[in-house]
Amino acid sequence: MSWREARRIADVALAELSLQAVYAFRQGNILPADRSKDLGARSRRRVLQSKVVISFVLGVFALGAASLLHVKAADPSLLATIPVGLFESAILTGLFSIDIALLWWTGVQVIPTILSSGVLTVLEPLPVDDSTLHRVAGILYLRLFDLPALTILVLTPLGIGIALGPLAGLAALPGAVVAIVYALALSLLTGRFFLRRVQGSRGGGGRVVVRWAYLVLWLVPAFAMFAFITAAPAFFRSLAVLAAQGPSPTATLLAIAFPFPLAALPALVVGGTASFVILSPSADWALGGAALAYGALAVWAAVWLASSIRTLLFLPVRTPVDLPTASLSLRPTGFARAVLVKDLRIASRTPGYAFLILLPILDAGALGLLTYATPTQNPVAASLALAAVTAAALLATFFGPAFFAIEVVAYSYGRSLPLSNRSIVLGKVALISIMYLVAAGLIVGITLLRFFEPTTFVAFVLAELPAVVGAAFFELGLLFRWARHRGLAITNLYTGAWFALIVSIPGLLLASAPVIVFEVAQSAGVALGLGLMALVALAVLAFSAPLALGRGAS
Amino acid sequence: MARASPASVSVPLALERLSVAYGERPAVQSLTLAVQPGEIYGLLGSNGAGKTSTIKAIVGLVRPVAGSIRVFGLDALTDGLAVKARIGYVPETSMLYEALTPREFLEFVASVRRMEAAVATRRMQSYADAFRLEAEMEEPIATLSNGTRQKVLILAALLHAPPLLVLDEPLNSLDPRSVRIMKDVLRRYVATGEHGVLFSTHTMEVAEQLCHRVGILDRGVLRGEGTLAALRARVAAGDASLEEIFLRLTEEQEGVRAAVDSLGDPSA
Repeated sequence: MSWREARRIADVALAELSLQAVYAFRQGNILPADRSKDLGARSRRRVLQSKVVISFVLGVFALGAASLLHVKAADPSLLATIPVGLFESAILTGLFSIDIALLWWTGVQVIPTILSSGVLTVLEPLPVDDSTLHRVAGILYLRLFDLPALTILVLTPLGIGIALGPLAGLAALPGAVVAIVYALALSLLTGRFFLRRVQGSRGGGGRVVVRWAYLVLWLVPAFAMFAFITAAPAFFRSLAVLAAQGPSPTATLLAIAFPFPLAALPALVVGGTASFVILSPSADWALGGAALAYGALAVWAAVWLASSIRTLLFLPVRTPVDLPTASLSLRPTGFARAVLVKDLRIASRTPGYAFLILLPILDAGALGLLTYATPTQNPVAASLALAAVTAAALLATFFGPAFFAIEVVAYSYGRSLPLSNRSIVLGKVALISIMYLVAAGLIVGITLLRFFEPTTFVAFVLAELPAVVGAAFFELGLLFRWARHRGLAITNLYTGAWFALIVSIPGLLLASAPVIVFEVAQSAGVALGLGLMALVALAVLAFSAPLALGRGAS
Repeated sequence: MARASPASVSVPLALERLSVAYGERPAVQSLTLAVQPGEIYGLLGSNGAGKTSTIKAIVGLVRPVAGSIRVFGLDALTDGLAVKARIGYVPETSMLYEALTPREFLEFVASVRRMEAAVATRRMQSYADAFRLEAEMEEPIATLSNGTRQKVLILAALLHAPPLLVLDEPLNSLDPRSVRIMKDVLRRYVATGEHGVLFSTHTMEVAEQLCHRVGILDRGVLRGEGTLAALRARVAAGDASLEEIFLRLTEEQEGVRAAVDSLGDPSA
């Protein structure tokens, strides 16, 4: 069969995938009776909305990077300690890293949905030849990333072209292409890993710990997206130190690390090696060689992608056969705890959810270490620690709505159980609170090693807690009300980004209100600031809890 | 909440003029039936007859547009949680938390059902043993076959020994050994004379062997109801099989003949 036929089949598969990704009927979701019209069109629209959201974020990064380059080109005295070429390459290194991380993260979200939707396995028994199935899988996979990838391919060269000139814009294109290919390959690679080691892993005892350890390892690269932004100031300081030292073998070694050689191409086109200062004139050979090597690796990755895509996307989940069976006993718990334990167990085999739990904690660890590295008794470090606690609260709040998605899986079965929405919300709020407390506890623990001022830090964490709980109640209460009236189904962040965002924004405002009050009031005294902060947080809780727990909520 | 009469408190399930619709499309129209204590009631019908919609309304998955549902006298529409606590439900399709193992899933169900650990464990072990499920109890549900998933759902429905079982095509995908076990379990289940079973199927042989009474649904309307003997008498066919009775009551006998004739020779 031809490519045209493959494309036609892929269109049908994509429509079905959109339907399953949004409404999860195969996973047991059902809609209220009056919401059964135009589901296909609505689900396709929802997937498009999510692609637009992701593309928008990528576009903001691309244009933001281009504006920074433009500002530096217009005024070289800005960050004068960093040479122009080095600055431009560093910015593009960050941009390409974020592109890879965001696309990869999208892949992490969507691959489990492809597998659970079963859209491709339906094609197996049909009289469709192998090469067509390969093409269908390939087209379907590419179409999941089409708009975000196109955004990178168009806006990166365009922005850089405007900032540094058309030749520099053109020179940015290889880096953009390689970033996309790597992200797509990494998504598939980690998807295969997910199938073998995480989703297929048996339950119980030490295996849970092993699964979480795998998930941490896997999520570290995706965490880079966030960490890169957080660590940007420290990164620029290191660059300034390197630039002051002049050319050195260490600098050359650092310069050939991915994606620097590709990110350096526009600067090389504009100013040559001299504009980097840290590179000796002969280093352009090393840079050129590394760029070619990364390009060759991208070609190999593209070939691997094309040849493996069907194997992965059509394969059922397999379990390892050499694992012993645990003793068969049941330990029932209370309603809310049962929901919490169930969600944690599901997250331990679902990287999309694990990411949501681990990101605030990993972020807390990174920020805690940053605070630890700051000179002792530096007031900036103390406020950095409090800001880190705030970040943990906001991240836990931001990701809270996504846990609603777990209820969509097997929704119809879950609704046949004598379990009220109230219990479900309480279980999820407990999870969000635990995320916040673990992350905040980590920051406080690390910080206290340097600044022994436990009262302020612990009081700050506890004063913010009611606001985190309140924001979580608000977000989940809103989602459950929508779900009852409109049959809302968020099965993952890829398709549910729109709803997650809408609900998260007021949630973030509620969670940040006490911190704003503290910032304003602390000049009159930290104790007063903390007291007012706690009052506002309790007010947030009092406002939000009835929405989720009151009449009409369940 | 409307008060239940003393008599209705002992009736496992009573549907009164129940109607379910999806938008403009009616799925069940003014259905009235009751499952008596000690009874296995078979709900028969073609695909799309309204069996699953009826069952979904009973277990609270869809809201009826009219009528009432009472489980042991409790109103399912106003006292949903109490009703759900008295029901064990096996859905038509295996809708489970794929990332959990059967043991983890059953632990969640046991928690929601407020079961004691010892009782839950004992029941799980005995049913897992009977259905030969022990080897799969720690594997993620995503990796299990359809038949094994169905067994997990049956375990989840029986775990808390509910007074009413609502089973939507429960024997689908099961191997012959498990089908036999399930049939015997259901017979013993109602033998005490207190429990009831509502059992939907489109397999006439199963209904004939297992059900005390059957109701025949056609395009959302109950066409006939009663014991096999009563239905034979109604269609005036002394030795007719349930399949023949079904086709007569749904006025499909001629339709089936015409459909087969129109197909001609299928090997040609």
